[in-house]
Amino acid sequence: MAKRTLRVGYPGNYREVEVDSPDAEPAPWDADSKLAVVGKRSPRLEGADKVTGKAKYTADVKLEGMLIARVLRSPYARATVRSIGFAKALKMPGVKAAIEIAKAARFQGDPIAAVAAETEAQAEDAVRAIEVDWAVEEHVVDLEEARKPNAPRVQGGKNPNERGGEAQNTAAEEACSSALKKSHATVDITFTTPVVTHSCLESHGSVAKWESDGSLTVWDSTQGIFAVRDGLARGFQLPAEKVRVLKEHMGGGFGSKLGMGQHSMIAARLAREAKAPVKLMLTRKEEHLAGGNRPSSVQRVRAGADKEGKLTCLWLVSHGTGGINGGANCAAPLMSLYNCPVRRVWHADVMTNAGGAAAFRAPGHVQGMFALEGAMDELAGKLGLDPIEFRKKNDSNEMRHAEYGEGAKVAGWEGRAQLPNAGGPGKARGLGVAASIWGGGGGPGAQARCVISRDGAVEIQCGTQDIGTGTRTIIAMIAAEELGLKADQVRVKLGDTTLPYSHGSGGSMTAPSVTPAVRAAAAAARGRVFEACAKALKGNADSLTAKDGKVVAKDGTSISWAEACAKISGANVSEQATRAQNFKGYRDGTAGCQFAEVEVDLETGHVQVLRVVAVHDCGRVVNPLLAESQINGGIIQGLSYALFEQRILDDASGRMLNTNFSDYRIAGPKEVPEITVVLFDVSNGRTNTGVMGIGEPPIIPTPAAIANAVAHAIGKRISDLPITPDKVLAALGKK
Amino acid sequence: MTSPFTFWDARTAEEAATLLSKKGAMALGGGVDLLGEMKEGIRSPEHVVNLRSIPGLDRIQKAERGWRIGATALLTDIADHADLRKDLPGLAEAAAAVATPQIRNQGTIGGNLAQRPRCWYYRSADFGCVKKGGKGCPAEKGENRYLAILGGGPCYIVHPSDCAPMLVALDARLFLRGPAGARDLPIADFYDLPSKNALCEFTLKPGEFIEAVEVPAAPSRSTFVKLREKDSFDFAIAACAIAGKIEGDHFTEARVVLGGVAPIPWRSASAEANLLKNTIADAVEPASNSAVEGAKPMSQNAWKIPMAKAAVAQAIRSFLPR
Amino acid sequence: MPADRPEGLSRRDFLSVTGALAGAGMLAGKSSAEDEDLRKAGGGLGPAPVKFGLRVNGNDHEVTAEPRATLLDVLRDSLDLTGAKNACDRGECGACTVIVDGKAVYACMMLALQARGREIRTIEGLAKGEDLHPVQAAFIEKDGYQCGYCTPGQVMATVALLEKTPSPSGDQIRAGLCGNLCRCAAYNRIFEAAASAAKAK
Repeated sequence: MAKRTLRVGYPGNYREVEVDSPDAEPAPWDADSKLAVVGKRSPRLEGADKVTGKAKYTADVKLEGMLIARVLRSPYARATVRSIGFAKALKMPGVKAAIEIAKAARFQGDPIAAVAAETEAQAEDAVRAIEVDWAVEEHVVDLEEARKPNAPRVQGGKNPNERGGEAQNTAAEEACSSALKKSHATVDITFTTPVVTHSCLESHGSVAKWESDGSLTVWDSTQGIFAVRDGLARGFQLPAEKVRVLKEHMGGGFGSKLGMGQHSMIAARLAREAKAPVKLMLTRKEEHLAGGNRPSSVQRVRAGADKEGKLTCLWLVSHGTGGINGGANCAAPLMSLYNCPVRRVWHADVMTNAGGAAAFRAPGHVQGMFALEGAMDELAGKLGLDPIEFRKKNDSNEMRHAEYGEGAKVAGWEGRAQLPNAGGPGKARGLGVAASIWGGGGGPGAQARCVISRDGAVEIQCGTQDIGTGTRTIIAMIAAEELGLKADQVRVKLGDTTLPYSHGSGGSMTAPSVTPAVRAAAAAARGRVFEACAKALKGNADSLTAKDGKVVAKDGTSISWAEACAKISGANVSEQATRAQNFKGYRDGTAGCQFAEVEVDLETGHVQVLRVVAVHDCGRVVNPLLAESQINGGIIQGLSYALFEQRILDDASGRMLNTNFSDYRIAGPKEVPEITVVLFDVSNGRTNTGVMGIGEPPIIPTPAAIANAVAHAIGKRISDLPITPDKVLAALGKK
Repeated sequence: MTSPFTFWDARTAEEAATLLSKKGAMALGGGVDLLGEMKEGIRSPEHVVNLRSIPGLDRIQKAERGWRIGATALLTDIADHADLRKDLPGLAEAAAAVATPQIRNQGTIGGNLAQRPRCWYYRSADFGCVKKGGKGCPAEKGENRYLAILGGGPCYIVHPSDCAPMLVALDARLFLRGPAGARDLPIADFYDLPSKNALCEFTLKPGEFIEAVEVPAAPSRSTFVKLREKDSFDFAIAACAIAGKIEGDHFTEARVVLGGVAPIPWRSASAEANLLKNTIADAVEPASNSAVEGAKPMSQNAWKIPMAKAAVAQAIRSFLPR
Repeated sequence: MPADRPEGLSRRDFLSVTGALAGAGMLAGKSSAEDEDLRKAGGGLGPAPVKFGLRVNGNDHEVTAEPRATLLDVLRDSLDLTGAKNACDRGECGACTVIVDGKAVYACMMLALQARGREIRTIEGLAKGEDLHPVQAAFIEKDGYQCGYCTPGQVMATVALLEKTPSPSGDQIRAGLCGNLCRCAAYNRIFEAAASAAKAK
């Protein structure tokens, strides 16, 4: 380990820290680093492929002799299969294989059987021809009904539907009552949020092909090629190296594609059975039913503050359901955002007979922040404090303090008091604020290889995946920076499990985990190029630098990159690096805050978000163009969650009713606000690049900020998402 | 994927009527609504008869009697028709309010008027209901937030068309063609309440299809207001079509028709009366209140009453000088 | 999944008691002799696969498909034009948008047979060799996408919009692109791309 002194912090607030960084790695970039490529707005490298339709997604893969699969899914929320007959289906034209998957269905959409046929139409016709004798059983899909002692047991046997308990290190109930009693002001509000589906435009899907040597190749619309590989290897009891998973482009990943899905196994099983490659892409309805979701929540928040506006107690009792599995906890913001002496959390996951939950962009945080920041605004109101002042009093993150300051200026916070009347007749405007909090610092283990050929060609190989975040482009930029080249001179190979290992693309982990490995690998390979060309430049390798497409000696003499690489003996140099542990650096996690301005139509209850000002930080910003796109996307997904989306289940049948995109509403062009992004460029000194993730932070505060803005506009809090016109009209006393 | 079928190109209206007389035959206009039903598995015709292959059936023309719009005229072409826009602004607005640009580019006026309801129980093959020849309405005790507040029972669908209420307000006539020849009727008579026929919202005899719609030439003012939950793309939560004549500050003739709140385009006589007996400005409140007279909300859809009032109020206000 | 299918009704029976889009004769059966006449007249296609011509990106193709095949099915499966995507299969997301006779349409909700004799343009035909269409170039420059799955549809919808409205206002851009969803939500930059392409023309 080398001790290095770095300048860390953000503009206007820098300090020096000493870090231990691995000897083999290049010196970490800090606030004083002058970079030529990193930090510039650069269009995506794969742009031309995406705008010409050449980009191939899993859904576009077509192999010789490939069959199409369709799945028979349970039409019942709960049922068992008394018998199943494939004879008719197997006799239908084009049908090559049929498999049984399960004898019991725990939710509508649970897979029971599947077929593979020469065409999609044949596969669909064949699925209809499978004969099933169903024994329909009693189901429960309502959250509160499922909690009752006599409710049907979703997971069978004696397992209770509700599994809950106190959080670790939580304060006792008595400590809370006493703290709340002593408080100057308190609030007690119950917030509720719906189940929403990821609705990636490319559904989950796989193309599976068994090779003649018994190995398996799978193209998968996944955020984690290695997770799919390992899952398939386990499922078929194969060594991992016998399974290859590929994913060049993928059509939307917001968490539900992190692990191996059942569809991958189904496709591979059918392919083995039919002795031909099989493609299985889920339909939109299947995607809504079985593709994962963000669980619902019912969060009762009690909070108190003293006269000075210091929080005295935060108390949360919550429960929620994602269907047949857990994952509904949303306590993290309440546990981590503010300073508070007494905190208590009790949470229960409730199982219901509906499609199960999956990680969804900032799991738990979006729901939790909506409740916490709603309670904070109400408490500020009771204390007679400005919402931002109140927040700052209880938040020790200096960066977020600065972000509030910047955001307030841009959003026009000063004029907030006059805003409700600024909308004209029949309209009310409001301005709301909310905070973000997330990790995003990445972790160790990701690997990258840099191969530099004698002709000067540079290739970075890394088994990560670009899920639309721009990973491909920022990898090229990091390597280009290190090698003194332009980003488009670096070829990036990713999305293939034969490449060096990397993690699944989730948790805002990819950029912070992958870029340090890429930089270290590029630096090491560059060292080999310097060694090869040192003689030609009459210097030693250590004194050379790579800049502007040249290798430059201390005395200023230089040769072109191509000339330098021509000195490589053999075909190329190849260096691999593994991402190290984070250094201590400046600070952990990202902050951020957002301001939303809304206009409410008092006659129709319609809410229009006019503008969002988003202030975020993600360490060193590799490419502002891409970082801003992530932020825009998070905000609009958050808006869609706040105002439109909800899974609607029919109690009596346990079936989802809005399994399309007209009844399941996703924000479209007319719902989009003007967005102003303010990015804090932070030198965090925690890795050799100092890059942090920005995938999740921007969705976290948006629903809370919108709800706070609506409350500001109409003077009534709507604590139940989505904020649809019926709820606004009810709040206005018009229903 | 739909079930298999035989596809026919009708070359003349007469041929279409003959083809449509075949057992299990259905007419195809733009196809968006029909294919949607077929893909859901709630409809599987054995024969699909293409009407867009009939030359001239998509014509939009002004004649002495008024505007005549062929059944396969595209909604886009109605919305964009400069002369029609001048004469019948409300119809152009209604056509422009339908769905999305792509659907307006495919969808025909005939298909818009005869589209089937969006009730999610109806649209899903997983549910049986009175509209599909079964028993009862699962929405009654189920999820009914978007369903009818007026005229419901035993089925509570709302008519999804934007153009239908406007054409009722404009007193249009529908020209139908069938094996027995042609006939025409006021468009209001085309639609039936579920209490009369729960299976289908409109009255077509076997083999019949819409050939054209005619809007009388009488000079009129018209407007169409549509309230949606999601502005980018949504069916109406409530809509209001008004057509009439204005002299000075008041209406001398008025027809007020609501969309999205009842199983058929819902004409409100009392809203019209209130609109006629007040100045436009003073009519806003009484007319919008009376438009929802007799509303019987279900368990979840009372919020559509203020929405319907708002649609009427906005429509009336649009006639006020700005 | 015919679970609660109305009691005792098969798929076909159920049809015969309900109405139809723009009219249907369900109850009256015509004589088979008349059927034969119509078939001889050359009208009936399918239900088995039929051969027909499609003009795509200026080229004539002969394809074989069942009448129930949509234009999207044929573009993707028969012609290997996989730019247009199937994301909702109900005309609700726009990922399959192509231009037919100058108008943006949902290829998933149009039968391939409906596109006979018409000029079909897909994303693959937009660039002239290496030269990108101004809309394509603008999408790259403005970062008007993320995952890129909806992009071919967004680009085609934008092209159709600008061909109809060469200098659109901000509101016209939003209205013109209302038929296209982007779950990554690159909307603001898609609008910027549309505005910038309009200027570039």
